[in-house]
Amino acid sequence: MTDIRQRLGLDAGAPPLVALHGIDKVFPGVIANKNVSLEVFPGEIHALLGENGAGKSTLMNVLTGIYQPEAGEIHVGGYARVFTAPQDAIAAGIGMVHQHFKLVKAFTVAENVHLGWADTPARIHRSVLEQRTADLSHKLGLAVDPGATVDDLSTGEQQRVEILRVLSRDAKVLILDEPTAVLTPAEAQELFVALRAFVARGNAVIFISHKLDEVLEIADRITILRQGRKVATEWAEACTERSLAQKMVGREIVLSDMRTRTEGVAGPGAPVLTLDGVTLKGRLTDVSLQLRAGEILGVAGVAGNGQRELCQVLTGLATPDKGRVLLDGDDIAPLGPRKVAALGVGHIPEDRLGSGLAPALSVTDNTVLREYRQPPVSRGPWYMPRAARALAEKIAAIAEVMVPDFAMPVRNLSGGNQQRLVARREMRIASRVLVAAYPSRGLDVGAINTMMRYFTELRDQGVAVVLVSEELEELLNLSDRIAVMFHGQIMGVVEGEQADIDEIGLMMGGQRGPQAEVAA
Amino acid sequence: MRLKLQRLHSAPPWKAFAARVLSVLLALAVTALMMAMAGIDPIDLAAQVLSATFGSSFGLEDLGLLFSPLLFTGLAVAVGLRIGAWNIGAEGQFNIGALCAAGIALFVPGPDWALLPAMIAAGALGGALWILVPTLARAYADVSELITTLLLNFVALLLVYYVATGPWLDPSGRALATTARLPVRLPEVWGIVHWGLPIALGLAVVLAVIFSVTRWGYEVRMAGSNAGSARYAGMPVRRHLIAVMLLSGALAGLGGVMEVAGTVGRLQGGISNNYGYLGIMVAVLARAAPLGVIASAFLMAVILNGGIVMQTQGLTTNTVLAMTGLILLFAAIGDELAHYRLRRLEGRN
Repeated sequence: MTDIRQRLGLDAGAPPLVALHGIDKVFPGVIANKNVSLEVFPGEIHALLGENGAGKSTLMNVLTGIYQPEAGEIHVGGYARVFTAPQDAIAAGIGMVHQHFKLVKAFTVAENVHLGWADTPARIHRSVLEQRTADLSHKLGLAVDPGATVDDLSTGEQQRVEILRVLSRDAKVLILDEPTAVLTPAEAQELFVALRAFVARGNAVIFISHKLDEVLEIADRITILRQGRKVATEWAEACTERSLAQKMVGREIVLSDMRTRTEGVAGPGAPVLTLDGVTLKGRLTDVSLQLRAGEILGVAGVAGNGQRELCQVLTGLATPDKGRVLLDGDDIAPLGPRKVAALGVGHIPEDRLGSGLAPALSVTDNTVLREYRQPPVSRGPWYMPRAARALAEKIAAIAEVMVPDFAMPVRNLSGGNQQRLVARREMRIASRVLVAAYPSRGLDVGAINTMMRYFTELRDQGVAVVLVSEELEELLNLSDRIAVMFHGQIMGVVEGEQADIDEIGLMMGGQRGPQAEVAA
Repeated sequence: MRLKLQRLHSAPPWKAFAARVLSVLLALAVTALMMAMAGIDPIDLAAQVLSATFGSSFGLEDLGLLFSPLLFTGLAVAVGLRIGAWNIGAEGQFNIGALCAAGIALFVPGPDWALLPAMIAAGALGGALWILVPTLARAYADVSELITTLLLNFVALLLVYYVATGPWLDPSGRALATTARLPVRLPEVWGIVHWGLPIALGLAVVLAVIFSVTRWGYEVRMAGSNAGSARYAGMPVRRHLIAVMLLSGALAGLGGVMEVAGTVGRLQGGISNNYGYLGIMVAVLARAAPLGVIASAFLMAVILNGGIVMQTQGLTTNTVLAMTGLILLFAAIGDELAHYRLRRLEGRN
């Protein structure tokens, strides 16, 4: 790595833009970072790669002054600095765009850019702010509409506003946390172009990701973290997806076709659940789908194109304005979520902490959520705490989750363990259908593999599984068929085996696929 | 070696409890300090308060009379908190409960054994009705119950003043600002302590059982903690919210019934004596646990009784308000601090 300066065309003694030396960060019971060092030079895009929980976000929160490290130093332009607050890091030219945007949705682009900024004129006027924003947008090469309300913008555009906001504070180092998770492939390419232009001006980008392909595409150098420690820093061209994956998880992972059934297991059988011209005002338009027993139906699409509503309709949480939802021939649309669940429809919801679990309640309370109405947890009007505890222990054991204390709030469990509990809880009731929305979101590779194993297990038992995901790879590995959603419509359904990524990408962008007319 | 503060995800229960106890002690200490600075011997005063409260059966009976309404209002607020609703209006519901019970006693003829249950029912119903509009506004329009319940307190308070000094004023002319003595009284159980106290204690136990070992209690717990997950599981969240808030109003109303039919014997303005507001403190100190309410209501009763002793020493009743405020302040700080622990770090340099 001695040739880094030479390669970037820097002087032999040029200091890195930012450097972290021997950073330690400890949380109660967890070592988040241990002796991590990192140098980022002007002109480079530096990827930070690691599984969830590897310490990427913690390290960046240290660099941006949100956390104070227990040990280690931060150097900016060759000088040691101590950041006691995020403002210090911003003043030093380090800006971060978080995974969840920190924009005021009801404000305009110009207002968001100027919010909490010392350079904002004391007397503000709409036209002044918009003019300043337009100038910044032009100067920094990020096209935005200053007068537009943020809420009306697409996710990609919102991200551009976030980046503009950070860069307008004269950031020399731009940190992006999983920036492509919310983008279509085309939007991601646009982002990459903007990032390359930014570093070409002598700045640097730190790009946090766990997606191997895009890291290889965009980064100059890649630093891999595992369990809070740095594993390596490599030139991107010296890496392959396989070598990176190996370093990330410490073992080799295989991207495999999980469609193949073990011997003796039948393929997709009779239709179980049928959507017939389902319309939900403004959210879903004339959606028709057929689910067969023992198949996994993947649902692809950029988040926010009706997947949430589709899941709600499938599980009884929403009643369609038009159309029918047939489970084994009976219309379940008006039944409501409890009765639909009782008929054998399980649901792993997309927002685990928003609806799948009550974070502040105990592990027991959360684990029995689907079976509290029936014996042994309930006897008549009585709720039996001891029986509930026993059931929770049973489910936790099947889910292979170590629970130190069943009375503790479920939020104290890691995201992966929470998801396993939810998944196992739902699998117990999913005798006919399991609807899983983004089940691997926020999980590490190991936990994702477990989750996928669960789904194939259910499939082989003859349950129809709906897998909504934004990870195409996951969908391609698992799905017998893939439906693509755009603006609340099904753009097409393709056979998993013959699925072509480019074709799916086009449908995700709103182009109708070859089988778009296929109704149930 | 150096020390370091660590934040924990959740406070262990023993620490939360210790923080509660410590907050009470700290509030007492600060009050004592203020007394000392004002030239009053706090130890002497404390001794007087304690002996006046616990030293005689009169003191204990007075304590019981304060304990009972605080239990009712404390339970009312605690029940609301179970589903995430802040019933700031226990004061008003208490007044309305008293008003309804007094109305029955004064104007409905009948034997005692029939009138008392009718008064209790009317008071509970009145309290529930008084919170009905805020409840429906919260359930159907997501209007914060904090403001609506609070504002209705003033309406209820003024209504009772008006009734007691106007249309229902004691016709004998002997009382200036109250109704006539109610013909029906709640029987006493011990000295001047009436049935209100055992009823309140029984209710606390019943509520504790309901919230821990009934299916309804489980659903309310889920709906109060995360409406999203309750809805996801198909629980009738709105129906539970309405039921719990009405129950909260009814409990406060019951407090008013016991006060007017047991302790005071007449309807008069200001009969609620701030019990509704103190109930908020009681519920918060108890972390909304019905059995915890018994302990915190008792503590509050001791403090209130202490206030009466202090008045005889020339101190204003506001001292008591300041003290309860201090307790709440320290309790809030303690709740936060219970999340931290001190850890020794082996220094490397």
